[in-house]
Amino acid sequence: MGKDKLIPIIAMILLLIGISASIYVHAIQNTTLINSDTIKINGKEYAIDQIFNQTEKKTITTDEGEITGVSLEDLMNNVGIKCTSCSKYTFKAKDGYQQTVDYNILKTGILTNESRVIFPGTAHALWVQDVIEIEVR
Amino acid sequence: MDKKKLLVGILLFGSLWGFIEVILGSLIADAGYPAGGLMTGFFAIPILILSRMIFKQPGMQLGMGLIAGTLRIFNPFVGCHICSAIAIMAEGALFEIIFYTISSDLREIKNITMQSSIGIISAYILFVGGYIITQILTPIFAGAGFYLENLLVFMPKILEAGILPALIATVTVPVIFSVKKLDLSIKDKIYYPAGIGISIFCWVTVISSWIIFAS
Repeated sequence: MGKDKLIPIIAMILLLIGISASIYVHAIQNTTLINSDTIKINGKEYAIDQIFNQTEKKTITTDEGEITGVSLEDLMNNVGIKCTSCSKYTFKAKDGYQQTVDYNILKTGILTNESRVIFPGTAHALWVQDVIEIEVR
Repeated sequence: MDKKKLLVGILLFGSLWGFIEVILGSLIADAGYPAGGLMTGFFAIPILILSRMIFKQPGMQLGMGLIAGTLRIFNPFVGCHICSAIAIMAEGALFEIIFYTISSDLREIKNITMQSSIGIISAYILFVGGYIITQILTPIFAGAGFYLENLLVFMPKILEAGILPALIATVTVPVIFSVKKLDLSIKDKIYYPAGIGISIFCWVTVISSWIIFAS
């Protein structure tokens, strides 16, 4: 098959891949019920208000200025993680984005009341927004 | 091809690409629009293809990606600088691979269906590939390490995000091909000072803004 025919076919296949992915993403979003007032931590649901009332506040300085939230290290201690320093923490967002950090990064971070985790001095790719779950391993 | 002319071309097109990514890309992202897809479809692909058509030199776009990515690190605005820099550098490298496979001579690509198809293929692969490479390398650079499951679970979103730049490139790439029909020849007397001058302007503007915003 010549390039004249092959190139348009490859272009169509790539568009079909993109469209299929889009249909899948929207189908998943429509079937998954997400409560944005709670965050699941290590398998248990916690209301955001509850987290903010029971955990020590911390203000950090970032390239976006000073930001206040709850200390992630204190939060993990409060929810009963046995070995905070030997665990890994995966922050999962509403849109499926997720990032995993170890204790050394976790202890620097905060969770804001907009459900965003921020780790000062690290790439913003680790700053997960709209967090719905924190998985501890 | 005169090596000096090629080096100035790499510097000029790379600096312009990086400058547009920093200034316009940041403004679009701040406004809440999908900056990555819009920038790839409207600017990155046209700049890469135009430079390839003018200079006809494989390897040039890799150099442009390195220059544009380096300039992107000095972004004065907030955001993930390292992610964008990695994505831009990856786009330059992926462009070389795609055009090495498709065609080294863009004169072969004559009809509009082929031009639009080239636009879709290059924009989709550059954007999705750049996104994936960023998702792998950024956590590693940030000291968090790479976890395959984090990438796999987000893959449908990445594959979906590639549609926008691909659709934009169905229009922008044929436009670039038609622009090339115009006579773009510039005398050396103007080419060197203009090329170096514009590049210096891009770097000075971005770095001085970065210093001002950081202080």
